[in-house]
Formats: sequence, C-alpha cells, structure tokens
Amino acid sequence: MSPDTKLPARNTSDQAAAAAFNGWIRRVVKGAAELRALDDGELDAVMDPATGSAILLPEARLALNGSSRVVRGVFDVLPGQVCVLDSAGTVIMANDAWRAFGARHGGAGLSVREGDNFLAACRTAERAERKRALAVGAGLRQVLMGARLQFRYEYVCDTSAGHCTFTLLIAQIARAEASHVVVTRDNIRECKRPRASPGPDRTGRRKFANLARADVPNRLLAALPAQDYERLRGGLEPVTLTYGEALYEPGQQMRHVYFPSDCVVSLLTVVEGHRALEVGLVGREGMVGSRLALGITQSSVRALVQGTGSAVRMGAARFMRVFRQSPALQRTLFQFTDTLMNQVSQTAACNCFHVVEERLARWLLMTRERLPAGEFHLTHEFLADMLGVRRVGVTTAASSLQRQKLIRYRRGNIRILDQKGLEAAACACYQHVRIRDPEAGSG
Amino acid sequence: MAAGSHDMAGKPARARKGDAAVTTVVVMRLYIAGGAPNSVKAIANLQAICEQHLRSSYRLELIDVCEYPQRALDDGVLVTPSLTKVSPGPATNVIGNLSDTGSVLAALGVRARAMK
Repeated sequence: MSPDTKLPARNTSDQAAAAAFNGWIRRVVKGAAELRALDDGELDAVMDPATGSAILLPEARLALNGSSRVVRGVFDVLPGQVCVLDSAGTVIMANDAWRAFGARHGGAGLSVREGDNFLAACRTAERAERKRALAVGAGLRQVLMGARLQFRYEYVCDTSAGHCTFTLLIAQIARAEASHVVVTRDNIRECKRPRASPGPDRTGRRKFANLARADVPNRLLAALPAQDYERLRGGLEPVTLTYGEALYEPGQQMRHVYFPSDCVVSLLTVVEGHRALEVGLVGREGMVGSRLALGITQSSVRALVQGTGSAVRMGAARFMRVFRQSPALQRTLFQFTDTLMNQVSQTAACNCFHVVEERLARWLLMTRERLPAGEFHLTHEFLADMLGVRRVGVTTAASSLQRQKLIRYRRGNIRILDQKGLEAAACACYQHVRIRDPEAGSG
Repeated sequence: MAAGSHDMAGKPARARKGDAAVTTVVVMRLYIAGGAPNSVKAIANLQAICEQHLRSSYRLELIDVCEYPQRALDDGVLVTPSLTKVSPGPATNVIGNLSDTGSVLAALGVRARAMK
C-alpha cells in the first residue's frame, strides 16, 4: 500500500479533514465514471483497500444517523428488556423496558444504565450479589473477546416486587461492524405468583426466534438449533451460482461447501469415453460437499449448477472446524449424507431398470421439490445429459407427459400441472428418494 | 433497507431478440452501502428498470458492502452504488444511483421497451 492512499487522520480541523478526505477518495478512485458520480453526489461509500472496509461518505453518514433514530424508536417499543454494549462493555443503548425496570427496582438484578460499564458494575456489585455478578462479568468478557457466541445465566434476587428469577442472555451481534453485544433480561418467575407463566416477553422472543429461523431458505441450515446455526453463520458467504457452473470436478479438492437457497446442483459421475450421468441432486434441502463430513476432502463427482440461483457457501477448513465442535451439525449432516447415498444408489438402479418416461417424471418431481419456484427452465439436451439418454428419447417422454396434462413444457420452461398424476407416472424410485420434510417442495 | 446480500429474483423467461424467441436471463450484482440514500435510490431505480424492460428475465443480487466489504474488493468494486452485469457477457459496470435509465439499459445490453 503506498502512503498516499492511506485514509487521512481525523485529528485536524473539520475543513482540513474534509479536504484531506476528498483528496484520499480521488487517489483511491481513479476511474472517470467513479469520479463523475462522486462529483454528482451519487456515491455513498468508497472501499478502503488498506483496511478492507467500506468508508461512508459524509452525506451518507448523516442520512444513516437519521435512520438510526428510527432504529432507536423500534428498540424502545420492544416489550422485553434489552441493552446494547460496545466492545468495552459500556451500555450504549438501553430500551424503555430496561430503563423502566431499573427505575422500578433500583439496583436489584445488576441494573445498569446507558453510559455505565457493565463489566465495572459486575466488579463493584453489592456483597449479596457479588457471586452472581462475577459469574455474569466472566461470561460477558468471554462474549466480548469472541471466545463464545453467547452466555446465558439464571439468577434469583429480591426486588420490590418480591422474589424473582431472571434469565440474562448475552449474545454477540453477528452483523455489527465492531464487536457489540446485546443483553436481554427476562423475569421468568416471580415467587409471589402462584404459577409460573410465560409472560408476553418470552412469547414475543420465541416468536422472534422462529421468525429468524424461517428467514433461512436452506432447510438443512434452518433445521439446526439456533446455537449451532450461529456458529456457522459468521463464515457463511452469499453467492450466486450460475447455470452450467461446475462447483467441483472429480478428484479435485473441495474448497467450499455450498448450501443452495433457490437453485439445484446435479452430482454427475464422469465415465471415460461416455457422457456424464447424473447420480444425485442437491437443492435447498441439503449441502453440496457433504463428503467432508466423512473426512474426505476430494470430490468424487462433478457438481454442476442447474439454473442460476442463490446459495451460501463456506470455506471447507472453517466448516470442518465448526463441524467438529457441533454435535447437532454432525447429526444433521450424517442424516443428510445417508439420505444422499440412498438417493445415489436408487438413481443408479433406476437408470438401469426403468424407462425414460418414468425416469423423467421422477427427475422432474425431485427437481420441483428442491426449488421454491413452481416453474423451472430446462432444455431437452440438458435433460438428456441428466438422464443419460438421447435427446429424442427425452422429447418423446416429455411429449407423452404433456399429452397426459401432467406437465406443461414450452420453450424449455417446465411447469408441473398435476403433481399426483406425475407421481403415478414416475417409477417407484421416487417414493424412496422424495424429501420427507413437508415444508420443502410444498406449493 | 434490509441489510445483507440477497436475491431479488425473476425466474427465467422469454425475451425477444429479433424475431426468434430466446431465453436470456440477465444476471446482475448491485453493490450498496446499507440504507444510504443513493443506495436506496439505486435499488428503486433498478427495480423500476427491471420491471419495465426485463420483466421477469433477470436475477439481481444485492451486496451490502458494509457487511461484505471483502466481496466488493474481490470483485474489483471500489465505490457504491455500483451495478455489475455478470451475464450474458461481456461484463459491464454502471456507477451511481442509476437515475440515467438509458445508460443502465446500454450497460445491460437491453433495448428500451416503449412506454404503454
């Protein structure tokens, strides 16, 4: 990095700092189109190659500060007690519910206010609370240092409302630029009450957690317990997989694992002197690269993307580190690998014994249940490659299925019109390899 | 503005090229900076352009450089908003809030569809 592309320091006067910042942008951004957009005020951020981060331009920063007021408003509306700490453990934001609890119950239950340092509050807690405060402080320090993703602590204390049991959850905010953490506190039981009941705060939080899981399009990732998914999430990178792209070739090292969201990846066996033949299909129900779970780092198949779509991927080495630490991920992946092996062996038998029309029906049903869209694009050539038959065989089989009004096939776009009918037209293999999760493939 | 990188997808569909009906899906990446004003404008402008001129035959990936800066650097993107056409080739790039529809269409290699 040459010295003239270093981001200027901000300890000069405002005017000088603005001039230096402007000069820096013009040294980093040299293209005519970029400079024109900069002069027209159409840019928001410039990448700093030295630090690898995005530097917001002043106008964008001011506008975002405005939107942070909206965030603050939303934060205050939340019924649960929530506060956000910076990397030093200082409370930078506490919502209305957190502040109201502090005002109501005084210093009970580790009450800290905006501007207070949570770690310091734990160190200087009153004698009666010293033990639990030190435990919370130790947990918070581990989360701040990144040694753990979250820390949960249950404690009992006396408040003006009586004898209460609290659950304190300290968790990293994965999407924050710096290492901020969020602290939530739930009053899970007040001993004055005859029966413990999940209050509105807990119900709300559970709903919020479900919402977050529903947001994950890949079913394998969505099925993981929240803690295990969090372990993976930091290393997941969104990518677009393009039609015809080969993710792996036989014998090559698998550098990434892929979790498809709305595309399907074919696993092809390559036999010398013959066309590649499809032996497996992976979509949003699974993962491409599951061989890593068996400790094998080389691919035995060609993994070919069918139709452009999105996925998330993760470096193989990092994935293996998380895999070794997460029994739930191991269990999920072993189950998926078993399902995939079942699919591969069934497909091999199917390719050998069943007629093209039955195989095509099976293949269309398998593809459909792995894609969120009701219609998908496939050419006859592509289908012929997947099924290991000549193009004319696919044309005849597709025409037959169309005549029976089971599918509509126009210029490569296929829509399944009669799911039950197509299942009846498929060979029995489909019932052995269909996805059992009712959520995948619905609609 | 939702942060992160996600798809605003259209499924493959027919687009007209001359007299022959062909299937062309335009794959694009739009690099934005969170909910910053020009980024928000760029998304709105691009959505309008796609709906009018590409119908459903496009795929758009939004990449928030505040969350995925390395992705932008790896792709050689230095400023946001920045739109890259990935396929069909050749790859092209448009910088700014995409208010100039003509230059966006030219970069995407799409002929303007007459307004109804």
